[in-house]
Amino acid sequence: MQEKIRNFSIIAHIDHGKSTLADRLLEMTGALSQREMREQFLDKMDLEREKGITIKLQPVRLKYKARDGEEYILNLIDTPGHVDFSYEVSRSLAACEGALLVVDASQGIEAQTLANVYMAMDLNLEIIGAVNKIDLPGAEPETVMQEMENVLGLDIAEIMPISAKLGTGVVDLMEAIVERVPPPQGDEDAPLQALIFDSYFDSYKGAISYIRVVSGKVRKGEVIRMMYSGKEYEVTEIGVVSPYMTEVPELKAGEVGYLVAGIKNVKDTRVGDTITSANRRANQPLPGYQEVKPMVYCGIYPLENSDFERLRDALDKLKLNDASLFYEPETSDALGFGFRCGFLGLLHLEIVRERLEREYDLSLLATAPSVIYKFRLTDGSEMYISNPTHWPAPQKIDEIMEPYVKASIMAPHDYVGGIMELCQEKRGVFVTMEYLTPHRVMMTYKLPLAEILYDFFDSLKSRTRGYASLDYEVTGFEVSKLVKVDIMLNGEAVDALSFIVHDDKAYYRARAIAERLRRIIPRQMYEVIIQASIGSKIIARENIKAMRKDVLAKCYGGDITRKKKLLEKQKEGKKRMKQIGHIEVPKDAFLKVMNIEED
Amino acid sequence: MSSGFASLLPQCIYIHIPFCLKKCGYCDFYSLAGASADVLERYTQALLTEIDQQATKMPDTIIRSIYFGGGTPSLLAGQQIESILARVRSRFRVDPGAEITLEANPATLDREKLSSIMGSGVNRLSLGVQSFSDDELRMLGRVHSSNDVFRTIELVQSLGLKNYNMDLIYGLPGQSIRGWLYNLEQAVSCRPAHISMYLLQLDPCTPMGRETAAGRLILPDDELEAQMYYSGIDYLNGKGYQQYEISNLSLSGAECRHNIFYWQSAPYLGLGAGAVSFGGGRRWRNQADVKAYLENLSVNRAVPVEELESMDDNGLVSDALILGLRMTEGIDLEYFAVRFGVDLTRQYESVIELCRARGLLEVEHGRLFLTRAGYFLSNEVLCRFMA
Repeated sequence: MQEKIRNFSIIAHIDHGKSTLADRLLEMTGALSQREMREQFLDKMDLEREKGITIKLQPVRLKYKARDGEEYILNLIDTPGHVDFSYEVSRSLAACEGALLVVDASQGIEAQTLANVYMAMDLNLEIIGAVNKIDLPGAEPETVMQEMENVLGLDIAEIMPISAKLGTGVVDLMEAIVERVPPPQGDEDAPLQALIFDSYFDSYKGAISYIRVVSGKVRKGEVIRMMYSGKEYEVTEIGVVSPYMTEVPELKAGEVGYLVAGIKNVKDTRVGDTITSANRRANQPLPGYQEVKPMVYCGIYPLENSDFERLRDALDKLKLNDASLFYEPETSDALGFGFRCGFLGLLHLEIVRERLEREYDLSLLATAPSVIYKFRLTDGSEMYISNPTHWPAPQKIDEIMEPYVKASIMAPHDYVGGIMELCQEKRGVFVTMEYLTPHRVMMTYKLPLAEILYDFFDSLKSRTRGYASLDYEVTGFEVSKLVKVDIMLNGEAVDALSFIVHDDKAYYRARAIAERLRRIIPRQMYEVIIQASIGSKIIARENIKAMRKDVLAKCYGGDITRKKKLLEKQKEGKKRMKQIGHIEVPKDAFLKVMNIEED
Repeated sequence: MSSGFASLLPQCIYIHIPFCLKKCGYCDFYSLAGASADVLERYTQALLTEIDQQATKMPDTIIRSIYFGGGTPSLLAGQQIESILARVRSRFRVDPGAEITLEANPATLDREKLSSIMGSGVNRLSLGVQSFSDDELRMLGRVHSSNDVFRTIELVQSLGLKNYNMDLIYGLPGQSIRGWLYNLEQAVSCRPAHISMYLLQLDPCTPMGRETAAGRLILPDDELEAQMYYSGIDYLNGKGYQQYEISNLSLSGAECRHNIFYWQSAPYLGLGAGAVSFGGGRRWRNQADVKAYLENLSVNRAVPVEELESMDDNGLVSDALILGLRMTEGIDLEYFAVRFGVDLTRQYESVIELCRARGLLEVEHGRLFLTRAGYFLSNEVLCRFMA
């Protein structure tokens, strides 16, 4: 049985054609009829289909009749294509024996892809290289193949040119999976070890875990145990996704499928945990489990204070599906009751916020994202803060530390100067630079995470005409000279606008933010004074003149409807305002105000 | 004035004459420049047919106001105006004291025409003066000069007509407070019964709107515009003109009844290409296409209409609010409660409180009204009353 199974992942950068290739595989293996087919079939969220980006595909089991006349089971386990989710990538890869590396024939390898391929190599996966979109006019498959050989040591003769869109080369690709990816090994009679590589919440069945059985087998009715959390559950359903959920009696070593066990919450079926049998436990869990920690925080508040409970419900529900989402209630003088939320990264933040607004019909206000800071206090204790308002009293602070990352940037060598300049502006420390090909370099920098949070990626793209790609991993905390800047509107500090910044940049940033607030906050009935301060010292000041005119001079029979439309628009605008004291502040001001570089 | 509001039948008729000598650079109304005498005559005939069509739908309606707007209604010959009014009188019951207004361009009137217009029953003129500075008039693209205005006023006075309005525009590029007050002084010297002072607000699709967007014309800043507005009101108050709406002032008793009907949410019937009507909670508009209008009516076919809006009870309440609050006397709360079954002070309690706290709105003696400070910031108030 195991000889006929191939478990593989697809590693591809966003836009390099992962979803399209998955669609072709579904179609060409007959998993779906023409009638059932729709684009980006395996993309789970509406959000993904809408944005045309794939964060992660649903796993799927395909039956493929190979040229040798035998029927094989191909299990496709996807890897998320974004740096925010690199832990999940590692667990998905750990569930496979092979990985399909898909590179766009006109773009070349990108830093994120490279990081994931290295991860796959570390896990001893068989790498099958494919160059996609060879049908497009700008395609340079030979150059890209050469790069894949130079950078990754793939044999150029084995890299496959394909067009996922047209289906060109896809059959050969499936043949290569059958021939080159080793079948899974693992003793069916040993105690159960199954890796959870993904999970999601279903409102009827509860938490559903996607698993790869590494050894032993699992049946319906059996009592299982989560080896890290220690919790036990009875299995109520197991099955495979092909691509609809289909129950099976058991899953054996080497197989991939799903498991339902009356688990109420995905946090009890964490990605990376090992499932074993309660009666016959494995000696040890599978390696590589990590408790993922949020790296980016922001405050999320309902625009209407009365929506606080609805926001809590919505977060509770999202959390069922997203174990990496962190939140706890907090209060702000300016914004009222809300939550401090922690995310894996900015994309994760963006997705959560959009889902809250869209799926739970909430009108929200988000404060600027912040990293987590570590303080060593004079009494020898340590504390972490993710909200600037919790900044300790100055006399108690011994040392302040901020998280640093190791960033890898790949780009054509022409842009080295621009990249170095950018990294220096962002307080980066140069580590290494190497040539991947005569024309492409990989640069490594040490950078404060806070500096790459806001606009680093956009600046990098604009300075390299879109050619650079970025990957990073958090390396730890380092001592830094940081200060807290407060923003006051008409003399009242607005806690939600406070921010933490490196001392060297405090003046520049405070001035830029005050200036930006002046432009974001519309004129009010009274003059508004904006001030930025460190402690009691004012470092920037702006003022917004009082509103003097807001009138429709004419409104007669013929144009009443048209004039009403203007008023309606204006009313809609008011809904996007948050009342702070007497001042109406646009709700996106709290987020927008930090994007200084946009100007 | 409020006696007929319970009725859903229109008591005022608006007649749109969509022709001008030349399009002005700031105008965004539907009108065509340079129509021939033949087109004007065919348009008049078409209007007569439309009057017939509409009258059969609403017999026994008493009409208290008729308003010729444009465009430039004074492009019509006296005889044409006369035939239109005669047809309205024969098909509707026109109150003998009805206000009958005609908008006129000072460059289009001579003694003969004016006396025949007045003979037809027009008892109020609205003159599109805009400015007394010839430079400003040129910038606006007007075809008349300040001399034309003085000449026209002499003519109007010599024929004994006292009830005339002057439209003036302020906030022109390069205009100063002094320049604006000069225009008002000149206007007052003509002793009009009514003055409308309009802030220049440019639709981006007009020539002047495009020039402004491109930075080639620079409008005064908000502060200066507000100063022009309030100093204009103060000046006119000193000359005996009382403000009764955001942009309108008049001598006592000379308020424009027709426009007051609009602001009191009374139903009205619009005739002519592009004319808007209101009644039964709906606003609709005759197709704004002169050619199609002539073709349809030449074979006695109804004019196609465009539905502009259809309001439920809430929509009607907010419609009445944003119109009613434009008038300085504001809204009679008790009358409003009877008409719409809504206690405004309760339903809009928080909005009213917020606007009062900002000094823009007041409730006193059973009326809800904008404060003086609220006039030039009225959108801040009105938008909050939108349904």
